Amino acid sequence: MKSLAIVVREDGYDKLLTPLAFAYLQGSEGTQVDLLFVNWAVRALTEVGAKAQVIQGEHADQDGWVRQQVEKAGLPPDLYDVIQALKATDNVNFYACSLAASIFGVNEDNLIPEAGGIVGASWFLNEKAAKAEHCQYF
Amino acid sequence: MSEIKADSKLDTSGKCCPMPIVETNMAMKKINSGEVLEIVATDPGTLTDIPAWCNRTGHTLLESGESDGVMQFYVRKG
Repeated sequence: MKSLAIVVREDGYDKLLTPLAFAYLQGSEGTQVDLLFVNWAVRALTEVGAKAQVIQGEHADQDGWVRQQVEKAGLPPDLYDVIQALKATDNVNFYACSLAASIFGVNEDNLIPEAGGIVGASWFLNEKAAKAEHCQYF
Repeated sequence: MSEIKADSKLDTSGKCCPMPIVETNMAMKKINSGEVLEIVATDPGTLTDIPAWCNRTGHTLLESGESDGVMQFYVRKG
C-alpha cells in the first residue's frame, strides 16, 4: 500500500488505539499515512487532550489494566508517546479538522507540534482521502 | 534448529501487533540486501503477518517454525 487515509472520529483511550496502531503498522512500512481528527477526537491532537484520554463507558474501570496490557504489548501506554512514535516514522501526518478544532477548543497554540496543522475537511477528503489507495473511518 | 545462519536477530517475544511488524521494518532497514534476519515472536498474529509482509515488501521468507508458542522466521532482505 502506498497511501492510507484515516478519519478518526471517536475519542477515548481504547477507541484511539486501533487507528493509531494501524497507522503505525503502515507508516513503519513506508506507506504515506494521513489522519484527520474530527469531532471529539480532535482533542487528542493537543498534549493535554492526548494525555487526558481515558477509557469511557462500560469499560471505564479497566483503564489501568488496559494501559498495562498496552505497555506489555510493546507500545507506550501514553497516547502522546504513541503519536510521537508514529511521527518518528516520517510517514505519518496528523491533521485537525478546522470545524472540530473550532468546536472543541483546538487552535494553533495548543496543537501538538507533531500535527500537520488545522485543515479543512474538503481539502483532506479531496487531496488525501480521495487520492489514497485506502481509506478508513474510526 | 535451523541451519540457516542469520546475520542479525530480532526478538519480539511478549510484544503484540503492531510492534513485531513495526520492529521488523526497523530491523530490516539496518541490514543489507541479501542478509538474513531472524525474527522471534510470540504473537500468533505474526504467523500470517510475517509471510504476508514478505510478499508485499519483496523480502524472502526462507524458513519459519513454531514450538511451544514461540515463532521463528528467517527472512532474506530483497
